[in-house]
Amino acid sequence: MNTPDAVNPSEAENGPEAPNAPGAERAPETPRRRTHPITPLVTGWKIVVAIVAVVSAQNIARLVNDFSVSKALIGAGVILAAVVIAIVLSAISWWFMTYAVDEEGVSLHTGVISKSREYAPRARIESVSVERPLLARLLGLAKVRVEIAGGGESYLDIEYVKSADAEQLRQRILGVAARARTPEGESPDQSEGAAADAPQADRDAAHRTEGTHETSTVDGTGEDAPGALQKLLYDGVTDGDMIATIPTGRLVRSLVRDLGFLVGIVMSILGLGVAIGLGIWTDGFSFAMIIALAPAAFTVLKYVFGKIESGWGFVSRDTDRGLRMRRGLANTRTDNIASGRVQRFSVRRPLLWRTPDWTAVTVTVAGIDDDDENGAQSVLPVGTREELGATLGHLAAPLGTDDDLAALEHLLTAKAREIHGIRTPARLFWISRRTDVTVLLPGALIHRSGILTRTVEIVPRERIQQTTLSEGPLSRRLGVLDLAVHVAGEDLHISAIPLQDALALHGTLARDARTLRRYRDREQWPQPILGRSSTAPHASQEDR
Amino acid sequence: MTSAPEPPERSAHPLHVVPDEPEIQRAPGARLGADGLRTVSPRLVPARYVASIVGYAIWVLMIAGAIVAAALTGWWWLSLIGLVPLVILLQSILLTPRRVRAIGYLDAEEDLTIASGIMFRKVQTIPYGRVQSVKIDEGPVDRRYGLAKLTVTTAAAVSSVVLPGLPKQEAERLRAMLTERGIETMAAL
Repeated sequence: MNTPDAVNPSEAENGPEAPNAPGAERAPETPRRRTHPITPLVTGWKIVVAIVAVVSAQNIARLVNDFSVSKALIGAGVILAAVVIAIVLSAISWWFMTYAVDEEGVSLHTGVISKSREYAPRARIESVSVERPLLARLLGLAKVRVEIAGGGESYLDIEYVKSADAEQLRQRILGVAARARTPEGESPDQSEGAAADAPQADRDAAHRTEGTHETSTVDGTGEDAPGALQKLLYDGVTDGDMIATIPTGRLVRSLVRDLGFLVGIVMSILGLGVAIGLGIWTDGFSFAMIIALAPAAFTVLKYVFGKIESGWGFVSRDTDRGLRMRRGLANTRTDNIASGRVQRFSVRRPLLWRTPDWTAVTVTVAGIDDDDENGAQSVLPVGTREELGATLGHLAAPLGTDDDLAALEHLLTAKAREIHGIRTPARLFWISRRTDVTVLLPGALIHRSGILTRTVEIVPRERIQQTTLSEGPLSRRLGVLDLAVHVAGEDLHISAIPLQDALALHGTLARDARTLRRYRDREQWPQPILGRSSTAPHASQEDR
Repeated sequence: MTSAPEPPERSAHPLHVVPDEPEIQRAPGARLGADGLRTVSPRLVPARYVASIVGYAIWVLMIAGAIVAAALTGWWWLSLIGLVPLVILLQSILLTPRRVRAIGYLDAEEDLTIASGIMFRKVQTIPYGRVQSVKIDEGPVDRRYGLAKLTVTTAAAVSSVVLPGLPKQEAERLRAMLTERGIETMAAL
């Protein structure tokens, strides 16, 4: 019982620098590996495209005006030289880039002149995703991204390895990470002693889990020829119980029914049209104008394509390493999100999704940020009620009501005054008076908001990091208070709720924040109802 | 047994547990959560004045510049530009003592509460078990007055919580206590 308490704080104190020491000691034991030899071609190509794009976007009008064959030949020669140089440079950096996965975590060495050694200690690994950008995908390569807890760019990228290897690598890294959080099963000393034959054990474990998956597959996709096709289509996400799968038709219809998205697109296309029309009207048709507007048009296209891609061919399945998801049209990616890592849920339903009863769910996981909107945080782009239930059942601990799904449905659809909870009393905030309501459930704090697009934010009560009460001159006059609830990576702001309610809610949540989710009572941590981690004897997925 | 979550009561309502036991009070007329808090060192008042001397000088220069410009051009309304720096200067000079007195903190059994602000008041609560890092800063002016600034960070996305104007030993005591209690009551993310 004492081991986790003794181990984890020391790890937390040592922080990111300390692992360098064990990593350096261990380096001779585990063989360091290079990524796939075609990597320089893929990365070098990207550099060339970037240079050509920048140069031509700035000067293309002039280039077109004085075009000649000899100049074109010179240009082609320059581009060819750039390609060769870029590939040679990438090849050099490829030669010096090695990675290793050992019992302590994942290490990545890069750099020719200034060398850098990055290290992801196993206890800090949040999730592992496999990404396949278009070009790499055509060449049968994939990028493995190891997400580590921490803000900003906290990840290691192993790019690129063969698709099949990427899958094995993912399994191994997840295996190492999972072993970090089985305190009773294996003491750290044992695992260090067993480090020598660890790869073999890993492979065995992988085989074993694959075996169990195949036996547990109900719909029989893990078989022969159709199985192979399925594997190709779904990037190997074919084992484990199916949680959600999104047909293309539903995805397209969901986008058309998303008013915010639609209005945004129509407005930007109209804007572009007006800009072009004005340009032609004032100084006639010119090539330069088209070039000037190209980035705007490109942004719109990229946004639309990104929206489609983040839900295209979406499949999520339940594995013993958490929810496994696959998505993407041109660039594909597979992610793992373990239930124990989810800090907050956001359930969203636009106005026109109410009739077909569709819902979207995004989660916040510490260390994963989704700035480029590639959908890493979306665990259900557009799902039916059953899929919503399955997804939340596998990822979220129970909310504590008699029927969580019905309660959620009530929160999503009912008028604010029909929901029993805390609302703002101030007439000044006449919109949020009608739409926003805060509900405290036994398992989570819930905030409902939105006029057309209803959003329900779910903050599990044991995940609260700190709380802030604040008031200004206006709220003092109105007799209200603002309460902010902070979880790792996200804040929930509840504004202008009645003074006494705010103080009481703050007291309750502050007590939750200091008493729940302690390492010493890890046995009592709430678990999702569905899913494998709940049937496991102890909370193996939960620890960090 | 305090660590175990209490079994929630099923109320008659299908949803919403009514929260109870507020910890922070707001008596009518008093500041939010002001009672029971420890105040920071009164030496923070002169320390803040000294630290903002440069700023004051700049504001005074701007006021003087506006008046001179008005006198030279003969356009009286140019001196109105000087009002903005004047207001900033006056509120800083007049309100700094009250602002310092409004800062309070309480290191309770299991969490740290920090309150600050007169008009826009903020009360932040951080459980010891969630603290990720603790930092003590001493600027040149602070050191002259024997003060230190404590910065506490959790995994939350907000910027860290700052408690200025602690006597040096008190800052050290808080840091040691936060670290020790943090390990005892360590909570997972």
